[in-house]
Amino acid sequence: MKIEILGTGCTKCNKTKEIVEKALLENGVDAEVVKVEDFDSIISYGVMITPAVVVDGEVKIAGRVPGVNDVKKWIS
Amino acid sequence: MTEEIKCSCGDATDEIKCSCESDNVGIFPCAGASNVGQISNMVAVKLAKKGVGTMMCTVGIGGHRSGIVKSAEGCDYIIAIDGCPLNCAKETLEHAGIPVSKNIVLTELGIKKNHDLDILPSQVEEALAKVADCL
Repeated sequence: MKIEILGTGCTKCNKTKEIVEKALLENGVDAEVVKVEDFDSIISYGVMITPAVVVDGEVKIAGRVPGVNDVKKWIS
Repeated sequence: MTEEIKCSCGDATDEIKCSCESDNVGIFPCAGASNVGQISNMVAVKLAKKGVGTMMCTVGIGGHRSGIVKSAEGCDYIIAIDGCPLNCAKETLEHAGIPVSKNIVLTELGIKKNHDLDILPSQVEEALAKVADCL
């Protein structure tokens, strides 16, 4: 599983990464977590507001920090 | 489409805008095949450049593109700008389950619909002024 955190390195983007990693740890799921900060890659997903989370190529949320339980649903 | 990504934090560059400390406003024009459809698109560009919100792809909502749908869902306020009473932008958003906060219909602002696609800058400015009064 590949999880991409789309954002410019702002507070909410960093928080999103923390939450994703927490959910992975709590569920015992192994995944590759990648921060994506360059404009071209972000826009390629059609994302217009960040932070955003992409799980295996599908955008799950944009413009908001997800909850841990949200992430757990995406990775289960 | 405006080359801008808005982050929900507040930081901004020329290309990527972060809005941690402000609301996310999405602007969706119908961009239809008429004068008012094309004017809706041009007005949306102007509004985005003025910082009113982030212009987004209405057709991407209809195409169920996840990044565009999720970006719309992440907005705190949605503006749909339709050229005519067919309300395609509004209907497209609502069909995808995205509530429209403000729907503006250009023909209801006194702009007559036709199929002349050669839009003059003065027509865009006139429409922009009328739309701005509605916001």
